[in-house]
Amino acid sequence: MVLVAPSLADGELAVLEALAPTQAGEAARASILAQGLPTKRNEAFKWSDLRAALQDGVPKPSGSAGMVPACWQDALVIDFTPEGFGLEGDKDAGLVIESEESLPLEDVVGVESLAAGFAPRALVLRITSQQSRPIFLRRHPGAPMRVRVELKAETNLTLVDTSLGEAGLASALIEAELATGATLTRYSLQQGGNKAIDLSHCRVTIGAGATYEATSLMFGAHFARAETLARLIGAGGYCRIRGAYLLAGSSHADMTSKIIHLSPDTFTEELFKGAVQDRARGVFQGKILVERGAQQTDARQNHHALMLTEGAQIDAKPELEIYADDVQCAHGNTIGALDEEALFYLRQRGIPENQAKALLIEAFVTEVFDTLSEQDVRDWFNDQARTWLKSRVG
Amino acid sequence: MLNIDNLHVEIGGKAIINGLTLEVPAGQVHAIMGPNGAGKSTLSYALTGREGYEVTRGTATLNGVDLLSLPPEARAAKGLFLSFQYPLEIPGVPTLTFLRTALNAQRKARGEDEISVPDFMKLSREVAKKLGVTQDMMKRPLNVGFSGGEKKRMEIYAMALLDPRFMILDETDSGLDIDALRVVSEGVNALRGPKKAMLVITHYQRLLDYIKPDRVHVLAGGRIVDSGGPDLALTLEASGYDRYKDAA
Ligand SMILES: Nc1ncnc2c1ncn2[C@@H]1O[C@H](COP(=O)(O)OP(=O)(O)O)[C@@H](O)[C@H]1O
Ligand SMILES: [Mg+2]
Repeated sequence: MVLVAPSLADGELAVLEALAPTQAGEAARASILAQGLPTKRNEAFKWSDLRAALQDGVPKPSGSAGMVPACWQDALVIDFTPEGFGLEGDKDAGLVIESEESLPLEDVVGVESLAAGFAPRALVLRITSQQSRPIFLRRHPGAPMRVRVELKAETNLTLVDTSLGEAGLASALIEAELATGATLTRYSLQQGGNKAIDLSHCRVTIGAGATYEATSLMFGAHFARAETLARLIGAGGYCRIRGAYLLAGSSHADMTSKIIHLSPDTFTEELFKGAVQDRARGVFQGKILVERGAQQTDARQNHHALMLTEGAQIDAKPELEIYADDVQCAHGNTIGALDEEALFYLRQRGIPENQAKALLIEAFVTEVFDTLSEQDVRDWFNDQARTWLKSRVG
Repeated sequence: MLNIDNLHVEIGGKAIINGLTLEVPAGQVHAIMGPNGAGKSTLSYALTGREGYEVTRGTATLNGVDLLSLPPEARAAKGLFLSFQYPLEIPGVPTLTFLRTALNAQRKARGEDEISVPDFMKLSREVAKKLGVTQDMMKRPLNVGFSGGEKKRMEIYAMALLDPRFMILDETDSGLDIDALRVVSEGVNALRGPKKAMLVITHYQRLLDYIKPDRVHVLAGGRIVDSGGPDLALTLEASGYDRYKDAA
């Protein structure tokens, strides 16, 4: 019998070219040659067909990386461009910045393997004492990013990343190790044009008493997928992910997460809310896996979304897989329309229909940010949402 | 002021209002009473333009302006206000933000300048004091976690802030205890004026002790089946609506 490699689409050939000449690049190349890019026939990509998204090739990067928002003025800014990365701003003591070869991840295919393969090198952030200065990872159009974060015991870091490209294939891989009692707070903003493809993957290992707290706002792109893989390996470990999405036009945003409870006494709190209109598509895949030994796990997941117009699409797959018997797990998932009665109530008070809609959508979606403790960060996210709503709805 | 002529309203193809004619002149308060299911709320929704309340025949004008052809927000900007029988809870929308947005939207529609934030804050505090609305209530998301009575109070608070010309009060008394009823009624009475008018919908005569109507109408089976002076309310309280069963 003769083995024939699957014939590759233009997009796949272009991806092969874009991969870096590194071990990780080689690994990704080998995986594409063997099985192609993920398509809707792969369960994990059934609503987000990457090969189809790349059928016209890899779009040329364009657009801007955006300004550093006022609330992050004191951050250490690291720019990721297609040419490499550069630093700007002050660095605090207790932060070691290095770069290393981009090594392949073990046994993985998909977004993380691609993101590892695109990055020419990996940036390493080693945190050895409390950090008051946030690190702002500014992802430029078409740029690859790979960042490895090591938080030593009892340290903390705030990481912000933005990707706002009009066009181009941008990728991000964040690997974080949180030692005992460490806290990593992450904020992400993604807004891509209809020729932008954004692939991001964050894998985090959460030690005893450590906290990973991530908040994101996605406006989607031609294809945007943000993956999270969190492993809770020590008692008292806490994983909280919050995400909001607002999609219009032909935008696509996929939020896929897998949270694995490996230790007793670990916590997950997930809240995702979104609104989708026109022909846009929102995808939520959230898996919480509680392993046999992970007793007293407390895991909550909620995803609630609004379908604003006919033709919009929201696909949700909440999944709880539990092998321990003494746990508290709950999840809720709803997809509905805007409340007509509430809309009429606002209009009766004199608020025009579109403005009333925008107000209700904002109230619904930005609930995700209500529990953020920093007022200026909450305002930053809320303002982004409001600006978008004003131009798309109100 | 408000002129309703031979109004027919259907909900989902079912006739609810069947040829209702009513005139409320400026400066007057008219009460509409009637049994449950008579169509009182349907009338208020049809006048304010709620979707699904289809006017199949007849006309309704406010100071000569055809209401029925306008979207709800335009009717509001013309000065039409409905105090809802069941005010909605809207999580995530702060009460004051909502009211300021509403007031400015109405002003804009009328070609007036926006009210500044300080001016609005001042106004909102003055009105709140009169109606026993607390700072805490104003800061909470719209009606969220409010008791039935608090919600009704907020409706009148919104009404006082927006200063409408024609007010429809749909069972504003339900959920109010006697003290609240007095405070709210005083608030409503303060909004009466020679260029304004009200339609007070109620089930019970009690409210009309506080808000004295010029005329009382009985709505049954989707029509006005009886009209009279304030005394009619007292008669109804004593005898009930049974005698209108056939008229409907
Ligand atoms: N959304 C609706 N769908 C179908 N029927 C309705 C709806 N709303 C009201 N109705 C019907 O219309 C009639 C009048 O209701 P309503 O106007 O609420 O009465 P009232 O306010 O006088 O108690 C009732 O028979 C009621 O069942
Ligand atoms: Mg009613």
